[in-house]
Amino acid sequence: MASRKSQDFAFCPWYELPTNTMQAGRATDFSTGPKGIMNSATMWNSPFLSRIWRYVLSFILIALVTVIFFTLRDVLETTLIALLYLLPLGTITALWGLGPGITSALITFLTFNYFFIEPYYTFTVHRPTDVVILVVFLIVAVVISQLMARAQAGLAAATAREREATQLYELSTALTGLHDVHAIAQILAKQVHAVAGSEYVELDITGAQPLAYRLPELNLPTRPPELTVPIEAARGVLGEIRLWRAAPAISSSEKRLFQTFTSQGALALERTWLAQAESRARVLEESDRLKSAILSSVSHELRTPLSTIKAAASSLRGKEVSWDSPARAELVAAIDDEADHLNLLVGNLLDMSRIESGALKPKREWNILSEIVGSVLARMRHLAEGHQVEVDVPENLPLVPMDYVQMEQVFTNLLSNSLKYAPVNTVVRIHAEVDDESLHVQVSNHGPQVPPEHLERIFDKFYRLTAADRVAGTGLGLSICKGIIEAHGGHIWAENLPDGLAFNFTLPRTWDGAKPPQLPMDPETE
Amino acid sequence: MSSTPHILVIDDEPQILRAIRTILTEKQFRVTTASRGEEGLTLAATTQPDLIILDLGLPDMDGVQVCMRLREWTQIPIIILSVRDSERDKVAALDMGADDYLTKPFGIEELLARVRVGLRHSASRKGEASQVVNAGPITVDLAWHIVKRGDEQVKLTGREYKLLAYLAANHGRVLTHQSLLTHVWGPEDADHTEYLRVYMRQLRKKLEADPERPQYILTEPGIGYRFIADG
Repeated sequence: MASRKSQDFAFCPWYELPTNTMQAGRATDFSTGPKGIMNSATMWNSPFLSRIWRYVLSFILIALVTVIFFTLRDVLETTLIALLYLLPLGTITALWGLGPGITSALITFLTFNYFFIEPYYTFTVHRPTDVVILVVFLIVAVVISQLMARAQAGLAAATAREREATQLYELSTALTGLHDVHAIAQILAKQVHAVAGSEYVELDITGAQPLAYRLPELNLPTRPPELTVPIEAARGVLGEIRLWRAAPAISSSEKRLFQTFTSQGALALERTWLAQAESRARVLEESDRLKSAILSSVSHELRTPLSTIKAAASSLRGKEVSWDSPARAELVAAIDDEADHLNLLVGNLLDMSRIESGALKPKREWNILSEIVGSVLARMRHLAEGHQVEVDVPENLPLVPMDYVQMEQVFTNLLSNSLKYAPVNTVVRIHAEVDDESLHVQVSNHGPQVPPEHLERIFDKFYRLTAADRVAGTGLGLSICKGIIEAHGGHIWAENLPDGLAFNFTLPRTWDGAKPPQLPMDPETE
Repeated sequence: MSSTPHILVIDDEPQILRAIRTILTEKQFRVTTASRGEEGLTLAATTQPDLIILDLGLPDMDGVQVCMRLREWTQIPIIILSVRDSERDKVAALDMGADDYLTKPFGIEELLARVRVGLRHSASRKGEASQVVNAGPITVDLAWHIVKRGDEQVKLTGREYKLLAYLAANHGRVLTHQSLLTHVWGPEDADHTEYLRVYMRQLRKKLEADPERPQYILTEPGIGYRFIADG
């Protein structure tokens, strides 16, 4: 199942990409603007303009304040004006940063000197106290600007760190629990793409199953990528991420962030690889165990009839048994029976391997259950001589879609199992009924019950409740039934009855949703 | 042609050839063997056997192919040998004109029974076909379209009679689903095996003592049906 899912991924890896992630991470700082000529459309939105505006707004504010102070020049003291000038300065620095702050401080210093310190309208200063005021003012203005700017930068850095942490957290949450290389690659590429606001992201995974993943799915630019980050794990380089973003240039902190991203991705990939290796090892171990179980069971089962055949044939060939002795007939019968048994065994092994490899495809047709049961009973006549087989299949049972040959096999196996374990002269019963959706069949016998905890396991391969040499068989019959019933979309289970054991199975009554066909009208009686 | 029937066996397994040759020779048949398809085709043309036993798994060509090539020029009865689980090939060969099949491993009585049926049909093809077929209490009169069970006449619908008549005329031989459907309903209904299931049940109800365990109208799982007559 898992492999089929990932296959789908490979065929259409782009289908669920949200287009709005393209700009989602664009809220980074605008401090570094591009140089050169820009057309008016890009200029309107560019950081270049907004920087100019900060200065322009600063000057306007200073000018405004200066006009107000100028009208109040005769009322207010010079020192108070100096103090009041610190208000717009602080505001400017807080709003627009250090550059406008310092510049405004210098301009304010000159304006203050020009308009408010006697002699007015000159840059000369007469009184020594005024010199002190000016110097202190300049120092205070610059210091406030710097402090404000530093606080701002600190805040921005903290916000950026918090955003990085959030993005990393989101990535690692998204990667948690993923065991599919395709999904991991997709999420990693998406996150890098979203956070970087890049034009293109390409993610390449090398190794046994190479995989390339692109966002967006358009053709990649011909220029080399602006950033290439290798995906490195403990077992070496697993691939790399290539990122195209011409502007703004990728900062070193972004580079660090993407490296952290890729190492998260590498960890997830490595985890997947380890999980796969582990499950491969488990499967191998299981199939190894199974193979040796098959071998030991098969060699035992094959040798038993072979020994009988060999013994009977060689004694017939020799001179020990005279031509007309009754022993001769018995030996011949033994050869015949054991050859049939061998044939059954080989058939069962073949069926099992087809079930295991998924090659058992039912050839469904609309069939009558009683016909199948009838032909099985006819064939098993001799085997069933010691028991009473009761068939309780309603006359008017509708047609059910099933593979005739395979369903014969199911009944043969269930019946021979019942006949093998149920005491002689007891009743083995075949009961069938239908409801709206399915056909329900029960094969019950008065044989020994099965401990409840083993009821499911008796359908396992080579699973036996009794020692292998006490009852002849392959240990495959019931698991073949299970394989066939499940291939038909049905369900099979065993249950203990008050006085015995029952095998139950259900089969769907519809065939890919289709109901039984209507038969055409028959021409009239001859 | 001598009175001992001549049988050509085409099979690539020497052990099988040896066993079949021994048994058939013992039963007074004249036996020729071939281990390859081309060789078998040549021998069939040059020796004009009365019956051919053909293995489906040959080294040089597909048994179905051999069957088809034979049917281009002769109606010699062909009995197919095949291993289990190759219903598709068996049906293909039967639809291609083979007369019957045996699944390996097979009992020798089975083989002899098939050979006898095959030879009888080739004889009836040459001479007069029997007009009345008896199977236990059942009598099918093909000339007068009368079906009796014991002394009582059995009422059959048109289709039922057509189906039974086809089976009875070919008694002992296996008839595939496709051949039955094509013959009784027409080629456009060749896929509707459910028709056969339903009509066979009706026929069995009217003719068999125990319809659930039929003695005369037998199902060949995955292949078709066979009508067992006396003799």
